[in-house]
Amino acid sequence: MPRRLLAVVALAGLLLAAGAQNRYDAVVDYFGDRAAFVSLPSGQTLKVLSFGFQNLAADMLFIWSIQFYSTYHITNRFEFLERVFEVITDITPTYKEPYIVGALIMVYEAKDIPMALRLLDKGARHNPGDWVFELDAGFYCYKYLKDFARAEAYYNRAAAQPGAPSFIRRMKAHMVYLRDDPQAATRMWLDIYRNAESTLERDSAFNHLYQIKAENDLPLLRDKIAVFRGRWGRWPDALPDLVRPGLLAALPRDFAGNDYIYDPQQGTVTAQRIFRWKKR
Amino acid sequence: MRTAVKGIALNTFRESARNKVFYLLVFFGVLFALSSKLVSFLTLGDAMKVLKDTGLAAIHFFSALIAVFTGVNLVYKEIEKKTVLNILSKPVSRDQFIFGKFLGLALTMLVALAVMAGIFFVFVALNGGGFDPAIALYFLMLLLELLIIVAISLLFSSFTTPILSFIFTLSLYLIGHVMWTYNEFKVVLKAPLWRGFARFLYYLLPNLAKFNIKNEVVLGTPPGAWTVLLSILYALAYILALLCLTILIFRRREFS
Amino acid sequence: MKALEIKGLRKTFRSNFMLKKYRVLKGIDLEVERGEIYGFLGPNGAGKTTTIKCVLGLLNADGGEVLVEGRPVAAIDSRRCVGFLPENPYFYDYLTARELLTFAASLFDLPPPAVRERIGALLHRVGLSGREDLKLRKYSKGMIQRLGLAQALINDPDLLILDEPFSGLDPIGRKDMRALIFSLREAGKTVFFSSHILQDMEMMVDRVGIILDGVIRRQGKLSELIARSTQYYEVACTGIAEGRLAQIQSNYAVRDGHYVLTLASDADVNLVVESIIHNDGRIIAVTPVKMTLEDIFFSEMRNGQ
Repeated sequence: MPRRLLAVVALAGLLLAAGAQNRYDAVVDYFGDRAAFVSLPSGQTLKVLSFGFQNLAADMLFIWSIQFYSTYHITNRFEFLERVFEVITDITPTYKEPYIVGALIMVYEAKDIPMALRLLDKGARHNPGDWVFELDAGFYCYKYLKDFARAEAYYNRAAAQPGAPSFIRRMKAHMVYLRDDPQAATRMWLDIYRNAESTLERDSAFNHLYQIKAENDLPLLRDKIAVFRGRWGRWPDALPDLVRPGLLAALPRDFAGNDYIYDPQQGTVTAQRIFRWKKR
Repeated sequence: MRTAVKGIALNTFRESARNKVFYLLVFFGVLFALSSKLVSFLTLGDAMKVLKDTGLAAIHFFSALIAVFTGVNLVYKEIEKKTVLNILSKPVSRDQFIFGKFLGLALTMLVALAVMAGIFFVFVALNGGGFDPAIALYFLMLLLELLIIVAISLLFSSFTTPILSFIFTLSLYLIGHVMWTYNEFKVVLKAPLWRGFARFLYYLLPNLAKFNIKNEVVLGTPPGAWTVLLSILYALAYILALLCLTILIFRRREFS
Repeated sequence: MKALEIKGLRKTFRSNFMLKKYRVLKGIDLEVERGEIYGFLGPNGAGKTTTIKCVLGLLNADGGEVLVEGRPVAAIDSRRCVGFLPENPYFYDYLTARELLTFAASLFDLPPPAVRERIGALLHRVGLSGREDLKLRKYSKGMIQRLGLAQALINDPDLLILDEPFSGLDPIGRKDMRALIFSLREAGKTVFFSSHILQDMEMMVDRVGIILDGVIRRQGKLSELIARSTQYYEVACTGIAEGRLAQIQSNYAVRDGHYVLTLASDADVNLVVESIIHNDGRIIAVTPVKMTLEDIFFSEMRNGQ
């Protein structure tokens, strides 16, 4: 056979094979028909089966799972979600991304926060000294579970890790504030305020302290103003009027040291700066 | 003309049939297939499924090993030990030599697989299982896969050293079983150049996963007739292309 | 038509990365007549095997023309009436001699019944009868060489190409090989064989081609190459007084108690012999000294350097 004809036949063979492949792909749904979750072996087994290539095996499974969980037309795709990430993290327990990404999928795709927390707990267990797992877990507790005490516990552990960024301490203080312990929160924020390493941190602590103090002082003032009006049938002319009859031992000032602003016409009292952190 | 091809094919088969390593691999394939009985003791419930799973996996693994080993070894030895000089100095064309080699290797794979498949079926029957035509279909698909491997090893042997052919063939075999990951790549790859490159590789490299229907077969969900037909067509076309390429390369080859 | 005709054959090998070129054949011209034994003589590395491989299509020549029985090498049929014994042949060691020859016959498309008979006869001819069904891994080097010859003869070729057929053979094997080559010539076959050993050639070839460094330096009938080259005459004598002898011819030596004179031409011989007899000397021998193949070979090698 002449050379040119051979080359043409070789090319034709390849094209024919490609065509067959193309038709084949059109028939076979790789994720539907062939999803192998049911027979996914345990992490231990996979470790053996990977013959020393467990990192590669974990990578492949991880990469595959990312693709799979972002294939939106498969409706029951979360059925084996926890198992898949359990297996991946069993094979390579110190590989961090699967914990983080798995938790993301569990929270935002599967909307199962306790599952994500279980995965992150496992990550923290296998990676002592690493704060990212507890940071993420704390955030999910705070944001989606509204369980501030649990979030505080996570942030507490995260902040204790070496090299943990300072904002974790601020998150923790905020959790304490959110779970209605202004005294403890004030103590923590003061500590942050005094030991601040940057103006950002300082300003943030200042703002929080201002807010907490205002939230403590303003109801007190309003209460005393109401008592004053009940006794004398009019609004006090100015805030010091509350001190003179002995309603208040001393006039509270805001965290910046300024007086709260009083409107004698309406009898209302406000702070100079108002911050509103949404509570619950 | 025809007797030369036949002679080379039969001699190639005879070489495997008289090679100890070949027997050893077939023996181990059978041994591991039979040891699936041990694994089935460990399971609860459907022991027959475990028996079939493990047995088919052992046959798949060892037959692929035989294909790579035999394919690379037989052609390499012919060139390295210069027996090819005795053939090509006679009125035998390079094309006939390659074609005869392929047929001989194909016959070797057919016989090796037939032995292992036969023992497997007898073994299943002894354990109270019936003859499952779907498993016979799997063996046919496996044979096609083995023929592609053998043709690949022949292609590499025609121009490179045995150790490289071995590595290339084995790599292509492994890659061939995960080619379906392209379906995920194409979603991720945005740059048209990368997309085109991935697409080119996808259609160029051997795609062997389609022959690996052992999981589906054991679970009782064999592929449909159309996908089987497409798989057979794919195998035949791919082997044809490989053989033509091998001949093109081998024609230019010199034996110094 | 010649049995083998090579014109201007050139072949260059390249090193692994195409960086270096090795010009192995620099224009080989040679002709082998039908029915003769042609000796292809040259030292190791001169290009003998490369030439043979180009003739058999195992290597692709860079240039030049090769005709085997009038057919170009590119035609696969040019090998139909050729038998080839490679240098240090190796055969599948898992086969028996009979199986190997059957395989070789299958490559020629020979009809099976005729083949069986021919295989028996060939094995007998090369002295391997009785060992037909022994696996080749049990064969000695000499036996392999004999078997190699048998497989080269399986198609009853007109032209036999033997690459270093005597290498690795013991004296009996060499004698047998020589006898076989002669018997082939008697049967009207052409034998082309290469060797780097001169004695192999001198005793048997009709014509010889000397290859040195990729070029044919000399080609011709062995008798002609040698006849043309009587170099000098030696006259051995005794009984003459040394003083007298020195007067006749100053150029002499003493060997085995005789005086040996070296003379350039036959005219000198007459004169000198007469003088010796005249001086009571006795002539023992007058020998024309011809060049041996070895001398020719070495003088060519010197010229080449």
